[in-house]
Amino acid sequence: MKNLINFTINGKDVTAKKGETILTVARREGIYIPTMCYISKTTPCASCRMCLVEAKGVEGFVLSCNTPPTEGIEITTATDALQQERTNIMKLYDVNHPLECGVCDKSGECDLQNKTLEFGVAKQNFTARDQHRKIENWGLINYDPSLCILCEKCVHVCNEVIGDDAIDLQFGGYKSKVVPKNSDTLDCTFCGECIAVCPVGALVSSDFKYTANAWELSRVPATCVHCSAGCPLEYETRHTGIASKEKSIYRVKNNFEFSSLCGAGRFGFDFENKASKDETAFHKAVEALKNAKAIRFSSMITNEEALLLQRLKEKLGIKLFNEDARRFAEFMTSYASVSGKKHHSATLEAVRKSDAVIIIGSMIATDNPVVRYAMTTAAKHNGAKIIYAHPVEDPLMQNTVTQFLKYEVGTEEGVVALLAKYLLRDADLSDEERKYFENLDDGYLSAESNIGEDELEFMMKSLSRTKNRVLIIGNDIMAHKEAKNIAKLAAMIEKYSDFSILIVPRDVNTLGVSLTCSLDEDDSQSDVVGYNAAGNFVISSLPRADLAIASLNQQEGTFVTIDNRVVPTNAALGFEGYELNDIAKEFGVGKALTIDLTKELPVASGFKAVDFDNLENFLSPAGDDIRGYILDEIEVEMDGVLSDVEDLPEFNGTIIYNVNPVLQFNAYTNLTKQLERDKTLRGSAQFAAAARVSDGDKVEISYEGKSVVRTFKQEESLKGTIALNPTFDFDEGTGTYRFQKSKIMRVNDE
Amino acid sequence: MSIEQFKNRNVSDDYFLVDIEDYPTDGWGQFKRVVKRTFKGELFVGLWVVLREMIKFDIHTVQYPKEKMPIGPRYRAVHEMKRLWESGTERCIGCGLCEKICISNCIRMETKIDENSRKEVSEYSINLGRCIFCGYCAEVCPELAITHGARYENASEQRAHFVMYEDMLTPIDMLKAGQQQEFEGFGAITPHEDERVKKTPLAY
Repeated sequence: MKNLINFTINGKDVTAKKGETILTVARREGIYIPTMCYISKTTPCASCRMCLVEAKGVEGFVLSCNTPPTEGIEITTATDALQQERTNIMKLYDVNHPLECGVCDKSGECDLQNKTLEFGVAKQNFTARDQHRKIENWGLINYDPSLCILCEKCVHVCNEVIGDDAIDLQFGGYKSKVVPKNSDTLDCTFCGECIAVCPVGALVSSDFKYTANAWELSRVPATCVHCSAGCPLEYETRHTGIASKEKSIYRVKNNFEFSSLCGAGRFGFDFENKASKDETAFHKAVEALKNAKAIRFSSMITNEEALLLQRLKEKLGIKLFNEDARRFAEFMTSYASVSGKKHHSATLEAVRKSDAVIIIGSMIATDNPVVRYAMTTAAKHNGAKIIYAHPVEDPLMQNTVTQFLKYEVGTEEGVVALLAKYLLRDADLSDEERKYFENLDDGYLSAESNIGEDELEFMMKSLSRTKNRVLIIGNDIMAHKEAKNIAKLAAMIEKYSDFSILIVPRDVNTLGVSLTCSLDEDDSQSDVVGYNAAGNFVISSLPRADLAIASLNQQEGTFVTIDNRVVPTNAALGFEGYELNDIAKEFGVGKALTIDLTKELPVASGFKAVDFDNLENFLSPAGDDIRGYILDEIEVEMDGVLSDVEDLPEFNGTIIYNVNPVLQFNAYTNLTKQLERDKTLRGSAQFAAAARVSDGDKVEISYEGKSVVRTFKQEESLKGTIALNPTFDFDEGTGTYRFQKSKIMRVNDE
Repeated sequence: MSIEQFKNRNVSDDYFLVDIEDYPTDGWGQFKRVVKRTFKGELFVGLWVVLREMIKFDIHTVQYPKEKMPIGPRYRAVHEMKRLWESGTERCIGCGLCEKICISNCIRMETKIDENSRKEVSEYSINLGRCIFCGYCAEVCPELAITHGARYENASEQRAHFVMYEDMLTPIDMLKAGQQQEFEGFGAITPHEDERVKKTPLAY
């Protein structure tokens, strides 16, 4: 292979792939090179100069973090001169660094502390006149510039991985500090990734500040439950206080070197449920189930719970309602009937590595922030073309998106058909399929969806030289009336082009539930027991339930993430009350423990018969995700036939889009203490004029028999005639199409 | 050197054998010894000493618990929390090292950020029922804030027996009156410590 470069590090023969630096090769080979500013998921900052190495024949030192090796070069990572140089760098870092390790939140896990001890900095030869530096409070984030070592990790992740581009380094020699970009205070999505990567105590969570020390907290490896990305995280728990035996979660941490978390994952951890064993409620629940005709449940459950519900269904002969997962399953069945494979083909890693992404049907920055981060990474690192098709232009995506395709509400079928037609222009289609696309009424579809030929041609042009392409399909498509046909069209793209497809499930375990349960159409009958959902008798981990059960941070079990990966989660906190397994035991379908069901998950859907305790839950030192296992691919008969694209629906009048604001996902995030709750109806000036409302008005929004009163907020960053209506604080019903024609009336304050 | 040398007990020439009468071997001899010891005048010597001291009223009894013996400065009894001499503020910075080092796991604390953005100890307790008074907490304390005091009475109605932060803290009036006692035990600063402190080089 000509792409491999052979060289030696400390006399050891090593091989680098194209694009690898000396540092990445050394780390892979287990050779230690100290760094202060290097972080694997961004491009090297090269600000610390700790990673210096010597190369034979090269004068001076070489920065290993951003230097690719050349054939046959001999690298030495540890010499007296290097040690001297690195010790001096550490001394410089220590100049005027406040000696407040005793109170600093980072003490015990501080890079500066560790490296100062590692290099034995016992005396200081450098001085500088100290500055007065003001501690800044930026909402959820606290910044202490006097502790900051200006490694720039935070700036790099914010810009390259997250895409907020909200912080910047204000250069001023010794006065340099991190400042909010183009703003007085920090205006961002508060993902808190800057806190995670900060090697010292400069950036910390305002809520966590000074409440506990690193060494007191016990870490529980778990999986985030707020969206379908299923990010790995660690809940850090400690006793609640001096007078309490109970534990509580103090903060959430992640393996920031390789993975990212959004703000809801990082700050929204206190949604646990508290209850004791209430026998009367338990017997009522059993009684209610005996008389019930159906169980309605949300996808905020583990695979094991889903399997228990399925067993209850089989035992009691009742129906199972979960519109969100049912629509998803339906979509996937149609998809599989054309693609021949049960699961979608792309992963988040594929998005990160891609150089072209088309995303349709999702306000992704709030639906699934990690997909957004993956797209940002692709855009910044690979210069990927990001084509964002949606009726609402998301201001959060401005920095990332290269082409915005604005289509009319409800015309998703037409848009995907047009996309398929253009993307499969040169594909090796069968005559029948070729004829199908030739018969499409382009003019009508373009006119109705408002996506013109020139826009599509421009897209094709920008895609022309790309190799790794991903099509991301969001929740609006699954919830669409014509979802089945759209699924087949998407599968056509997957089958005949080099696009891989990522389908974004709505909730944390929508995918798992759709694979585990056979679901029925929700016909809203009475005698329904709700499981984390509405019903005549409600068993739920949310407040005001008839029988309280454990929340997802108090449960063991598995989820299926967007990557088709079955990942385990662990109980961070205890729960005294009953669980679904206890109810199932009453009906003879329970197990000794809920996790005994992990190995019984349906193999026909791709699950493996693996014990829960054999599932790993961490990332490897090289950053590979080795949590749980990936679902087996299941071959499906390809009998799907494309149906003609009929008339596209028209949405006229006032349209709202039921989408949550940043940091909010569902009723659980609504319970948390730190997350901001923006309950306003947000719209552009254009919307305000059309709906005859103005900023600060109290309005009643009514659609399809539902109504909610909200305050209208006019936002300058928004465009278009669609207002954004949050759903985290009321039961909107999952799985419904999120654009709604609605009536907006001003109401008086009384 | 041989073992004989060690067996020789005559380390000095001043040693002599005490002149002790042989023990009586028969019953009559034993009877005579009892009578001799019983009616010795020394009994009255003892009685006289008691009478003399009673008349002199030179009494050395400590009237515990009203009176207590002074206790050594290094004695490790119930903990105290010290204040800074200059400002009167609490020395404890809430670093949590005492909680960490405590081998009987009897220290617990809660900290928070105060209105001046400083770390503040909001709750602090030591379970004296578990405490083994090893002194590690005082030794590890970087601020000489937690120390051992002289209060050694720990009787309690139950095994768990807590002492709270406010109880341990030197009252502010005692501090102002200069009555705060510095602990001299393990972990305390040694005399002439300030002579050994090196200054940070400040070239400017």
